[in-house]
Amino acid sequence: MKKKTNGGLVQKFNVFDVIIYVVLILFACLTLYPFIYTLAGSLNDAQDLMYGPIWFFPRQFTWASYKVELKDVWLYRSFLNTVLATGATLVGAMLLTSCVAYAMANRKLKGRKFYWYANLITMFINGGMIPSYMLIVLIGLYDSFWVYILPALYSVYNMIVLQNFFRSIDVSLYEAAVLDGANEFRIWLTIYLPISKPAIATVGLWIVVARWNAYMPTMLYTNKDKSIWLLQYYLMRLIREGEVPAIDSGYAGSVNATTLSFAAIIISSLPILLAYPFISRFFSKGIMVGSLKG
Amino acid sequence: MREKTKTKFKFNSRDIQLSVMASFSLVFLLIFSYLPMMGIILAFKDGNKYLNIIMALGADWTLDNFKMLFTDSEFWQVFFNTLHINLLMLLINFPMPIIFALLINEVRNRFVRTTIQTVSNFPHFISWVVYGGIVLALTDANLGIVNPILEFLGLSTKENPIDLNLAQYFYPKLIIATIIKGVGWGSIVYVAAIAGIDQSLYEAAMIDGANRFQRAIHVTLPCIRSTILVFLLLNISRIMGNSFEQFYVFQTTANLSKTRVLATYMYTLGFTYRNYSTATALSLFEGIISLILLVSVNFVAKKTTGEGIY
Repeated sequence: MKKKTNGGLVQKFNVFDVIIYVVLILFACLTLYPFIYTLAGSLNDAQDLMYGPIWFFPRQFTWASYKVELKDVWLYRSFLNTVLATGATLVGAMLLTSCVAYAMANRKLKGRKFYWYANLITMFINGGMIPSYMLIVLIGLYDSFWVYILPALYSVYNMIVLQNFFRSIDVSLYEAAVLDGANEFRIWLTIYLPISKPAIATVGLWIVVARWNAYMPTMLYTNKDKSIWLLQYYLMRLIREGEVPAIDSGYAGSVNATTLSFAAIIISSLPILLAYPFISRFFSKGIMVGSLKG
Repeated sequence: MREKTKTKFKFNSRDIQLSVMASFSLVFLLIFSYLPMMGIILAFKDGNKYLNIIMALGADWTLDNFKMLFTDSEFWQVFFNTLHINLLMLLINFPMPIIFALLINEVRNRFVRTTIQTVSNFPHFISWVVYGGIVLALTDANLGIVNPILEFLGLSTKENPIDLNLAQYFYPKLIIATIIKGVGWGSIVYVAAIAGIDQSLYEAAMIDGANRFQRAIHVTLPCIRSTILVFLLLNISRIMGNSFEQFYVFQTTANLSKTRVLATYMYTLGFTYRNYSTATALSLFEGIISLILLVSVNFVAKKTTGEGIY
């Protein structure tokens, strides 16, 4: 173990460290284990699963659950829907939120106090579940794919985070651009956005995670027509209601609702797993913006 | 651009551009926040008899919705469930990320530190549907691994396994699952706050002979006090609110007596029974309590510590 000097005082690796390491490593294992369990279960024969839990490795290995799941068109459809909804929300929300944040970050904005309070109030008072549903029906978004995108295009919290970041940017940059005759839209798009990558990435990640993981919009705002299901709603119906896809007779004995939901969980988590190294590197670098103060 | 002239109603082109940019937020909020606020009048309308929510909006004025709610024993069960679970979470789940951040801070090996953080952040990116599904499997009497562990500890037997899906085991299950899923991610802000502490404070404490535990308690904790306070206040103000998605996954008819919270009950009232008005009355009730809590805890915090969230 490498000893690090801290202010000239050498810190030894002592019993304290051992306890801390053991506690933290145990906890890390605890966070990881549920996924190992799910992976092992998804690769196990369903009938064999009834004889007792699978701990780490499948007892009776089979790809059957994956073969059934990967044949289900609705899995692909809901997956595609989620990718589309997430992508569109990300682009739209980033543009809208950062545009407002850019204007709000400028102290010369006329009537800034008014905009500020009009925004802030909505953080503390909202209509709630039923009035929101009413609105969706009223403006014709019910049962439309747009219901996944439009209501998520702006968030006051994200705007405040971006605004605080924009404020930390050196004003001389703005002033130079003004002297060059660039208009505000241009300064926002070509100067502020490119140099705000850490903040944009942080907020973008929040938006993506929130959209990717939600099943409520499908549940509340659609008629549950399968063609506009989101992935998480598909998973909810499979996990909670046990709604399995059509099973070929060849696999009938080796899969059941449990193994199928395990397989679907693993398949649907793959994109997150693939993106995770990038996400975690980004966070471990300590790039974390955002404060609640305005 | 000279502020001195103060001709308030004279906009140059730059002012107009900025105003246009800022007012995009007004357009959005007017539609998606302020319009639904007007929908709160549903709570004072006799709208339960309509299946169409727009027609419910035009019903007669009444206060029956609140009367119905407050005289309903189901409502009080839901109310106390919500209070109970959120108080438990405030007591048990809230300090966990802080403790975790303090522990992480003591790990000086960069590789170990990053690895632990990377692994423990991962469940945050998994949805509650998926995570809840895994938790239900893990605690299942047949295929779960929690019962064998309980057997090993002598708390359960193979012949007569504990049915962890019963209502009385819901709170421990939920709290443990929430800790495992959320602690790593929740600790990020605290780790960041700790990283910003002036190192000379630690050196001074070490010269005074403070050991590591004392340094964590007397230097680190006071230095991240304002971060802790902000999250504490936000958590207290959310004492009536729960994540619908989180609770709905765990809900079965067998454990309904414990899993029913305001968020899911609102859904049942509004979308299963189509009692739009009663459900709106419920959400108004929740909103008012949250607002009062937020304003008052913020007031108390400002009086006692001079800090608050707004």
